[in-house]
Amino acid sequence: MDNASAAMPVKPPTTPMLGATAQLTAVDGLRLGPRAATEANAKVHAPDNDAALVDAIRRGDAGSREALYHRFKRRVYALAVRIVGSVDAEEVAQEAFIRIFRGLTKFRGDSALATWIYRLAVNAALSHRSRRASAAQPEADEVVEAHASAEPAHGDAVLRARLERALARLPVGYRTVIVLHDVEGLEHEEVAQILGCHVGTSKSQLHKARARLREMLAADGITAATLENA
Amino acid sequence: MAGACKVFATERLSAFVDGELSANETAAVRAHAATCEHCTTAIADLRALVVNASALGEPEPPPTLWASIEGALDRAPRWSWLSIGNWRPFSVGALAGAAAVALLMFALPALHRSGSRLPAAPPGAEAVATASTAIDPLLNEAEAEFAEAAAAYERSIAKLRALLEREEARWSPHERSRMAERLARLDDSIARSRELARRTPGDSAGNEQLFAAYQQKIAFLAAAVHRGGEAGEWDKLGAHGR
Repeated sequence: MDNASAAMPVKPPTTPMLGATAQLTAVDGLRLGPRAATEANAKVHAPDNDAALVDAIRRGDAGSREALYHRFKRRVYALAVRIVGSVDAEEVAQEAFIRIFRGLTKFRGDSALATWIYRLAVNAALSHRSRRASAAQPEADEVVEAHASAEPAHGDAVLRARLERALARLPVGYRTVIVLHDVEGLEHEEVAQILGCHVGTSKSQLHKARARLREMLAADGITAATLENA
Repeated sequence: MAGACKVFATERLSAFVDGELSANETAAVRAHAATCEHCTTAIADLRALVVNASALGEPEPPPTLWASIEGALDRAPRWSWLSIGNWRPFSVGALAGAAAVALLMFALPALHRSGSRLPAAPPGAEAVATASTAIDPLLNEAEAEFAEAAAAYERSIAKLRALLEREEARWSPHERSRMAERLARLDDSIARSRELARRTPGDSAGNEQLFAAYQQKIAFLAAAVHRGGEAGEWDKLGAHGR
């Protein structure tokens, strides 16, 4: 069945259950999730358009550089927390932004700026994990603790924390794809670009990841009924 | 979970939830789920999982992150702008900017020599933001308070460092190296924030960032002292003292 899934043509999701995907909004000519729309309110005055912002940074405009940071900081940091854990997230986010700013001269606009930034952030996180392979891997508790201060908009914080804990226990490949697609709200085409894989692979990895996550949650006594009552 | 069902794997049901199945497969899943408690539950679980995953919060990065990124970028090779790829002919704007800088370089010392009314810098002022350019007495007072607060933070840090030194002897070289690495990053943030505060005297934002950096280091050291009694335990702490 997985093979059949991988060979299927790419279709946009149609079910309303994909909350984040369904809520995608157009901001600055890019398809960005609702979080991106919030972050687009950069603290520093700078061009709203991504291409103009990149040009301004290339010309050495420090304000635009900081604006780009504010536009993407939460997404990059959250991604780092979820891939490497809270202990090393700051270091990874720093490394990701350094790669982003140094690599902007090479950014040709073949992909959306957000997708390109996600790719560098994921690469920074995964290479950090490789470097730290001999050391202890991040523990689920760290991730939960990291989110304790990020109050969810609604629902039960404890249940969300348990969801975070289960996410943190997933193998890193599964975790990365589920974070990009279900948490960050990216499309499979974008996830495939970020991870350098086929769209079909992104889909099959996501479905396997969800199946594993569901097993973990069930073992923790969490089902749809629990989550819906949150 | 209801009893196991072998008709549709959970992965397939996840594809159903995303609307990725063909019309025939979708109809087959629907028909089956109508009579299978296991698959109905699995579909409900998967939908709830997707909805809740999309609603997970995003932690706010530490306030000093930008300062440390700027610091690292500023430490980039100074001559990189000479590379062929970055070369641009001088524009009128760039020449005008250079002229303005040159004017300031020559004009400011001349102003000082001619007896400018700006007050002289107080001796030993290594405070947070320079009071030397402050003309307003209220600004002077505020800067003095900022400097006093910074000194108090430094004293707290020194005490915690002294406490931690007793524990460090019990750590492995790897743990000591990791601790040194974390502290270097925190120190870098403090240095960057101090520089920002120095550049913008009278602007409380710079000092707030500096104090946030101090607090971050204090929280990290305090947690390390608290948990560091068990060798290696500190390594489980966040770099910002979570």
